[in-house]
Amino acid sequence: MNRHHATGIVTAFAWMVLGFLALPAFAVVPISFTDTRYLAMPDEHWSLQHWRAFLSSREWHDSIWQSLWIACVSTLGAVVAGTLCAIGCWRVSSRWSERVRTAMILPMAVPTIVYALGIYRLYVDLDLVGSAIGIVFAHTVTGLPYVVLTVSASLANIDPRLEQAARGLGASVGQTLRWVIVPNVVPGILSGAIFAFIHSWDELIVVIFIGGRAFFTLPRRMWDGINDNLDPVIAVVATAMILFTLLVLSAELALRARRPRS
Amino acid sequence: MPSQSNAPAGWRPRHGAYWLIILPALAMLVFLYLVPLADVLVTSITDPKPGLDNYLLLFTSTSVQKTLLTTLRIAALTTFVALLLGYVVAYAMRAANSSQQRLMLFCVLLPFWISVLVRSFAWIALLSSRGPVNAGLMAWGLIDEPLPLVRNETGVLIGMVHVMLPYAVLTLYANMRGIDVRLVAAARSLGASRFQAFRMVFLPLTRPGLIGAGTLVFILSLGFYVTPALLGGGKVLMIAEYVAVQINDTLRWGLGTMLATTLMLSVLAALWALSRVLDVKRLFGA
Amino acid sequence: MLSPVPEPLVRFANVRKSYDGTVDAVRALNLEVARSEFLTLLGPSGSGKTTTLTMLAGFERPTEGRIFVDGEDITDVPVEKRGIGMVFQNYALFPNMTVAENIAFPLRVRGVSRAEMTSKVVRALSMVRLDGFGDRRPQQLSGGQQQRVAVARALVFEPRLILLDEPLGALDRQLREQMQYELKHLHQRLDVTMVYVTHDQVEAMTMSDRVAVFSTGALRQVDVPRRLYEAPASLFVARFLGESNALPATVRQHDEGCCAATLATGETVTAVMPVPCAPGSAVHLVVRPEKILLGEAAHDSPNRFAARIAEVTFLGDQTRLRLAAFGADDFIVKLANTAGQETFAPGTEIDIGWQAEDCRALAE
Repeated sequence: MNRHHATGIVTAFAWMVLGFLALPAFAVVPISFTDTRYLAMPDEHWSLQHWRAFLSSREWHDSIWQSLWIACVSTLGAVVAGTLCAIGCWRVSSRWSERVRTAMILPMAVPTIVYALGIYRLYVDLDLVGSAIGIVFAHTVTGLPYVVLTVSASLANIDPRLEQAARGLGASVGQTLRWVIVPNVVPGILSGAIFAFIHSWDELIVVIFIGGRAFFTLPRRMWDGINDNLDPVIAVVATAMILFTLLVLSAELALRARRPRS
Repeated sequence: MPSQSNAPAGWRPRHGAYWLIILPALAMLVFLYLVPLADVLVTSITDPKPGLDNYLLLFTSTSVQKTLLTTLRIAALTTFVALLLGYVVAYAMRAANSSQQRLMLFCVLLPFWISVLVRSFAWIALLSSRGPVNAGLMAWGLIDEPLPLVRNETGVLIGMVHVMLPYAVLTLYANMRGIDVRLVAAARSLGASRFQAFRMVFLPLTRPGLIGAGTLVFILSLGFYVTPALLGGGKVLMIAEYVAVQINDTLRWGLGTMLATTLMLSVLAALWALSRVLDVKRLFGA
Repeated sequence: MLSPVPEPLVRFANVRKSYDGTVDAVRALNLEVARSEFLTLLGPSGSGKTTTLTMLAGFERPTEGRIFVDGEDITDVPVEKRGIGMVFQNYALFPNMTVAENIAFPLRVRGVSRAEMTSKVVRALSMVRLDGFGDRRPQQLSGGQQQRVAVARALVFEPRLILLDEPLGALDRQLREQMQYELKHLHQRLDVTMVYVTHDQVEAMTMSDRVAVFSTGALRQVDVPRRLYEAPASLFVARFLGESNALPATVRQHDEGCCAATLATGETVTAVMPVPCAPGSAVHLVVRPEKILLGEAAHDSPNRFAARIAEVTFLGDQTRLRLAAFGADDFIVKLANTAGQETFAPGTEIDIGWQAEDCRALAE
């Protein structure tokens, strides 16, 4: 029967496309074990030589450490400011707060290269190029949209009368936030935190412009590595990053499973 | 929004406190985001001297025009391919059973989560002349010499489609899930063949999804930097990389900021136009 | 009254449908639909009525058995080749087309010429009293109007059979009643065969020539509405159609369709027994609340018992009494509020009774 035929072809094609999507994630793993000195699949046997080079490299360690703490601090900033902002907009719920919320999405929409130019010019004036605080702030502000969006999505499931009830029972704004609203949007906050963390952890273009000589985060070191020489060590770094991302991703999935269906 | 409009007036809390908690994020956005963007815009009309001289280059400079054309061509091609492949995947996902659906969704989300840098690098490794793709093709005897798959437009296109495909799939899938399957059943019971039901009922109903996914992929492609820079190997210059070159190598701030402003305004204009048709915030996962 | 004619339009022959291989959604179904008949498939959700309809429409294939339309075996004919019009629960109007385009759809896919299409669409629109609505979008219409468009769309290509799957479910009560009569009149005027699915027994009674009652995948009884109500073949049918008092009892003796049975509280009752049961078997004695005789009127009846009024509810056109009798307090009596109807007070002792032919002994 030709109806099963047609559906079968569509499904088979879809799986091929899905294979194309998943391919790169798995392809770099064997390359990181290559026994050659260039980018290729292991030729005769699998070798740990590039993993050893990676693990004994001071530069890569410094980069990982830098990336990690920058991502942590800017995530913290984005989560606090973003959550408060989302809650405020949700509660005010006026035309203006709606505009604020729309504006918060801008960093996701505007091409990063434009922002990189702008923040570089600002930091040159403020003498913040190559400073930790400069990078953290830039990553915080560009991480905000993720938190605002996820927390807003969580809030959309909350009955606005909950807040009114708490206030009616005598709670102050602060008490209402702490005991009523925030506990109800924890899953949204955590999701937002993971998005914001990955955003900073992967961010390259802004760091290229404002990192100066002092800050070579992991993406920036990889970028330089790829542009200078295609050392298989980069495949090792890529593999490590993929594993790390998968770890964070499964944490997110676990959270999502715990979140009640809306 | 079922808001508090029907609540008694006396219950309405003072919103002052809530505006106060919006303030930190808003202040950051204004001073660390909007001000820098405004500075880019201002620079584009003041450097090296006030006026619209920089924007004249859009019409006079051949290298600028070449970059713009390359950007538009690659973005359009990427959009077309991503929509085509994305449509098939979303369609199959919609028809699949739930365990298959989960696996498919995983495959779509997996690359979404791996940094663009890592993925571009993976493609370089895969597509290079000694990489597994060429090795495989040669082993099967399909080709005698490695195909030039990177450091050219082919490589950029493969990499870009790979980055954009999840956006297309997710947007189209969200749209398709909203379509009542009974409409297709109704069309069939009224005498339409499978293909007729698809063409006359299902396809027209996915138009908003196609428009949304197409615009999203196109505007994201316009500003792409990492993938074209790495997979193009400096030979395929798209606008974002061209801007970076102007600033880092030749220090032509006027030209760089002009192109950046043009890029930003085109993207925002496209989004604005799209917002007339769709809820744009949904596209970004709201 | 209509009864299955020699040559039915639709015939289900031993049809069984199982989705998962273990539970039968429909089993051992033998059912015939006469030409020009309005047949309703009635039953609670999960009873198999919708599965039966979707098999007839062609969306599901029977696991076993065959389905015939016009003497032709259509079991393996694909949906679009069956030429059966269908009206869906939520209308399933195509939101991307205007009302006229929706109605023209079945003609378009059949390659009907433009001129003929236009005239047929206009005629179909006026048939459902929607003249001039052709250029609207379905979303701009009210629920009742959308409903009519769906009907027009199913009629326009003159199918030999029209299926309606709970088409009035989404409408409010008043509109639903009005639409019931409209559909009924349309059926009479067009002389078309209709198979209608609903879980609403009043709707089934109002519209149908015959009603087929389903429960848990099986066809329980198929008959004209009056006989279903007055002569239910099973306790399920008696309970599903209208209200009834069902008293558990044990058969003592029976002959020629009548029986004597003893209640748990000791009283003996004479009743009609459509399906013979051996003495000693458990049955339910079913009496409709409006068949109960009260006070003086009860004195001549063969079944006469003492009761006490527990509650009186005035319902406008009728009064509903809840009585304590037979060791329980849920015996219901309905009285039409005719002129001179006496009034009752809770706590009053009263005699009740009924004729033997108004009481049926039904097995579980």
